[in-house]
Amino acid sequence: MGLKSLDYRKRMFRTIDTIVAVAVSSAAVVLVVYLVVGRWGLDGEYMVRRFPAYFLAAMTNLYYTGVAFGIGLFVGLLIGWVRAARATPLDKVLRDARKVNDASFPTKAFVGFGARYLLRRTGDAFVSLIRGTPLFVQIMFAAAILRIQYPQLNPLLIGVIAGFMALTLNTAGYQSEIFRAGFQTVHSGQVEAARAIGFSRSAAMRYVVLPQALRLVIPPLTNEFIGLLKASSLLLIIGIVELTLFGRREAFNFFVVFEAFALVTGIYLLLTVPVSKVVEWIERRYRIPGLGIQPGTVSRA
Amino acid sequence: MIRLEEIHKSFGTLHVLRGVSLEIAKGEVLVIIGPSGSGKSTLLRCANLLVEPDQGRVFIDGVHVNRPEVSTEWVRQQVGMVFQSFNLFTHLTAIENVMLGPIRVSGLAPQQARAKAQALLARVGLAAKANSYPAELSGGQQQRVAIARSLAMDPKAMLFDEPTSALDPEYIREVLDVMTALARDGMTMIVVTHEMGFASSVASRLVFLDAGLILEEGRPEEVFQSPRHERTRAFVSKILR
Repeated sequence: MGLKSLDYRKRMFRTIDTIVAVAVSSAAVVLVVYLVVGRWGLDGEYMVRRFPAYFLAAMTNLYYTGVAFGIGLFVGLLIGWVRAARATPLDKVLRDARKVNDASFPTKAFVGFGARYLLRRTGDAFVSLIRGTPLFVQIMFAAAILRIQYPQLNPLLIGVIAGFMALTLNTAGYQSEIFRAGFQTVHSGQVEAARAIGFSRSAAMRYVVLPQALRLVIPPLTNEFIGLLKASSLLLIIGIVELTLFGRREAFNFFVVFEAFALVTGIYLLLTVPVSKVVEWIERRYRIPGLGIQPGTVSRA
Repeated sequence: MIRLEEIHKSFGTLHVLRGVSLEIAKGEVLVIIGPSGSGKSTLLRCANLLVEPDQGRVFIDGVHVNRPEVSTEWVRQQVGMVFQSFNLFTHLTAIENVMLGPIRVSGLAPQQARAKAQALLARVGLAAKANSYPAELSGGQQQRVAIARSLAMDPKAMLFDEPTSALDPEYIREVLDVMTALARDGMTMIVVTHEMGFASSVASRLVFLDAGLILEEGRPEEVFQSPRHERTRAFVSKILR
């Protein structure tokens, strides 16, 4: 008895809770399908037979999303870091430059200041560009550029490259915003305390801000991953056969409209629901004892 | 030990420090009092260059340190600081908070750092809480961990920025006890506080700061009992009730 059994009961409750949640969601889907198409009846045999083909098409989405998200994570972290880092104010640079006798110091200080300034502004511009234009346009734009610049390339290959390029750049922009917000949410007192025991700015970032920010960005990053997975259906406009395009073709080629879209919908859910469950587990695992982590939200325009 | 010469500091149009000079000898405990907005915290932060003075010079052990050639990181290792809001690293346990500086800044091996941190936590009476996270500790316990974290860098002097004003009354005593013990061990300390009991029994000198200037300076009992300036008298009568 005691603590152990309490823990066991808690875990048991969580399992039952999950099962009930799945059951209720499935029932809701079945109900909607029944209300909408029940009268005509669904071709169950078709759905079972073609499920693997649909699932294979969905792997395309997962593949593009996974690679783009992975690279975007790295790029987004860097851009977010650059944009969150506080710049040395120009008047301090000027003051230091005036005080130092070493003749090369002012030049070095100004070059350093200028380089950092330019880097930050470039990051800002990149994010404005990505966030301010539709992903739809970005995909078409990337494909068009490649087609004109490299007309000798196979159109199929152009589609693949353009798809990866557009999704990666897009998610990198969004993720950099998530990381920037994460860095800036960590209380400024944390950096001050780190500086007070002799950490440099970058070491304070690395050892104090980053570990805390990474925990903060898990929920919004999950949103971003799921959003990107769904948005990857837009790749159909450059002829990449992913789940949605595959489903649409099946629907109208074989006239199995309801079956096709039921399968498409079901497979999207099959992919997105486990993702949020896995992330929930990660969040619990890295939770800081005694501290709640507030979930953030990000919307995809 | 620490000498400040004619320190000026402005934030925007606000002239916070208007030429403050202060010297503190090794082993001395200096208490700074003054109304809010008088520049106490800023003055303290100038002593370890968390705030860089606009004008004036800061000396530590005779070395002029607010020059671009001197590494500010080095200066801050010489002078420890304890904050009003503790600022413990929330993602680390008490002992990891104390170990982080020695490992990452001083390059101490993790095992040695752990032993040192354990000893320091024992010194502030928290050996049993080594593996607790900040959010699981009371305010008083957090502040004692913060003192241990600062001591882990073997500072030559310590700065305390209102270390007890964010605490519930029942936790103030335990923090002041740790600070008193530290002073008895010969630590050089500058303390911004309104704990008059602590000031009278521990401080060797008291400074009254008002509107960015030192208005009065002397032994604590002198300043409390026979303040020379009207402003000091008014302030002291308010906090001594």
